[in-house]
Amino acid sequence: MSDDPVVYVIDDDPAIRVSLESLLASVGYAVRTFGSAEDFLAAEQADAPACLVLDVRLKGRSGLEFQRELARRGQSPPIVFVTGHGDVPMSVAAMKAGAVEFLTKPFRDQDLLDAVHEGIERHRRERDEASAMGQIQGRYETLSPRERQVAALVASGLMNKQVADRLGLSEVTVKVHRAQIMHKLQARTLADLIRITDRLGIALGQD
Amino acid sequence: MPPSSDQRLISTSLPSDTQLRVIFAVVVMLVVALAVTAPYAGRPTQGTEIFLPAYAAAVFVIEMTTAALLFATFRVQRSVPLLVLASGYLLSAVLAVPWALSFPGVFSVLAWDQNLQATAWIAAIRRIGFAVAVVGFALSDPRRTVRSPGRWVLACVGGLLAGAAAVLWFVVTATQSLPAFMADARSTAPAWAYVPPLALLLYAVGIAVLLTRRRSTLDIWMSVALLSLFVEILLISYMGAAVRLSIGWWSGRFFGLVAAGTILLVLLAETTGSYARLAQAAVNERRARRDRMTAMEALSASIAHEINQPLASMVTNANAGLRWLSRAEPQIGEAEAALKRIVDDGHRADKIVSGIRTMFLKGAQERVAVDLKCVINEALGRSASERALAAVEVETVYPPEIKMVICNPIQLLQVVSNLIDNAVDAMKAGGGRVRRLTISIEDGEPGEVEASFADTGPGVSPDIADRIFLPFVSTKPDGMGMGLMFCRSVIEAHGGRLWIAANAPTGAVFRFSLPASTVVEASNQVGVHP
Repeated sequence: MSDDPVVYVIDDDPAIRVSLESLLASVGYAVRTFGSAEDFLAAEQADAPACLVLDVRLKGRSGLEFQRELARRGQSPPIVFVTGHGDVPMSVAAMKAGAVEFLTKPFRDQDLLDAVHEGIERHRRERDEASAMGQIQGRYETLSPRERQVAALVASGLMNKQVADRLGLSEVTVKVHRAQIMHKLQARTLADLIRITDRLGIALGQD
Repeated sequence: MPPSSDQRLISTSLPSDTQLRVIFAVVVMLVVALAVTAPYAGRPTQGTEIFLPAYAAAVFVIEMTTAALLFATFRVQRSVPLLVLASGYLLSAVLAVPWALSFPGVFSVLAWDQNLQATAWIAAIRRIGFAVAVVGFALSDPRRTVRSPGRWVLACVGGLLAGAAAVLWFVVTATQSLPAFMADARSTAPAWAYVPPLALLLYAVGIAVLLTRRRSTLDIWMSVALLSLFVEILLISYMGAAVRLSIGWWSGRFFGLVAAGTILLVLLAETTGSYARLAQAAVNERRARRDRMTAMEALSASIAHEINQPLASMVTNANAGLRWLSRAEPQIGEAEAALKRIVDDGHRADKIVSGIRTMFLKGAQERVAVDLKCVINEALGRSASERALAAVEVETVYPPEIKMVICNPIQLLQVVSNLIDNAVDAMKAGGGRVRRLTISIEDGEPGEVEASFADTGPGVSPDIADRIFLPFVSTKPDGMGMGLMFCRSVIEAHGGRLWIAANAPTGAVFRFSLPASTVVEASNQVGVHP
């Protein structure tokens, strides 16, 4: 997992492609250019924070349609739209579907760089979020079934004694389980535990 | 050859086959009527005065309606013969009323029939007056037009009514001292013998002139009308032995009435039909214009996009170059590459622009010698319905000799159509009372021919006049501003010039020059049929 950001440029005009590549490279971005949406999909995407600079008018399909397709697939980097003939309804549709920015050619370079920067930051946050989630998920997987039951009941606010009653265990056993749970989920306090179970969306007290 | 633009009007068009068949039927009917009634024509009838008011009313309505139709046609066409003919019908209709009122034994209650001669004098004036009007119609030049037709109609109607009143007054008061036309209530006096031959002579002249000229459907219908009157007089005055209310007298009037009614029906049908066709043509024309506009919009959008691409690339490359240079360690190589790409972009933009130019002037190499007059007439024909709706009058001032110019006929036609459309739109928007487009062809600089299009619209203000040929400059609310740019580029590609001047007292004049052809060909050799 790398942290060097990548900018993907999809535009069917080679001259525009090269000029964008040069501009983005001049401020230090790694740039990969594609002539069509299909080329982009066929290529392997780097595991790094990224941003997609996309022409609204692509060969064979509209950029907005491609935006929807990427959203369906998930894992899409944020999109900065550029267009030769933008109109208001089109830009509204793009922004509603989550685009970072909608720029009309010819655009100010700073506007594009700002938009790309924002897109990359957004992607970075999303990726961090996703990886944190993945970690928590992984830790939760290590709990035994009994520990998961205890964790759910503790998180719902019951005292050890009540948990023991509910599960037909001794209070000492519950205490041991609880220590195990706190250790495995890397939770230092009860509040930590509750926050973690909350994020995991566990249906507490169900089983 | 009449201009194709006016071929739908009865007063200028040639008759169709159906019309010719109806005309033939009417003529046959008249001849048969003549033959059938001839043996009994002299027999007098009793108590038929009662039909006379009905007959007079029918004549009045038919002639009045015909007059109204002809006046209406005149108001649009402004042709003098129509005014003369309409006046004849109006006079005849107006005089039919006192004729019936004064007829002996019809309206005895009014006691207007004491004056034995009045009825005959009215009849004589009515017959001769109408015949004179028809001969006047046949002899006057249809190309002669008047400026303000509305005023002419008013003047004619007023004059005729006043004239008819004067005649009545004269007939009622002064006939005692004039030669007597009637011996008694039924039989004519010797002096009447001059009236029918004079009328017959005038009718014969009218029929002869109309049939030899045969300019239009109306001419042919009028000759049928004259023939029916001819037969009517034959029956009344000769076969009916000039005895009032005889069988010949009645049948002459009856068949004359049927013929007049038929002609009126044809006129009405013709008028309604042409109005419907005109409306349809106007709708089609408007649709075609809208399509043209949509095509222009799409074209300009695609041009804008084409030009914008290299432009965007240039801006981005220039920005990239600046950024490469302003880095802590300036990257000369990268900046140089960016500059080279800007050069390429510039060339690409140039290629697009020249591509558009050749697309606009496609086939511009195919230049032929064309009669400028033919191109203008063709363009006028295409805008006929639009002009008719906007009530725009066109005056063409062509030199007697043929002016040939070297050009691409299709492109020139487009230019002329554009200029005419612009003039019509300007006058329509201006709402002025006088809407006249004057198109003239004249000699320009040596070796050049000039054409000018002068309208009476609001004109073009000086601050916009020098920009009006630029793209996207328009004075129309929904205009694209492409038309005049296109016109000027076409004319200049032909080695000519297009410019604008002010018209006096109001309006604009668009004028273009084109190189004249040294080859003088027959004008009909080069047609404009894109």
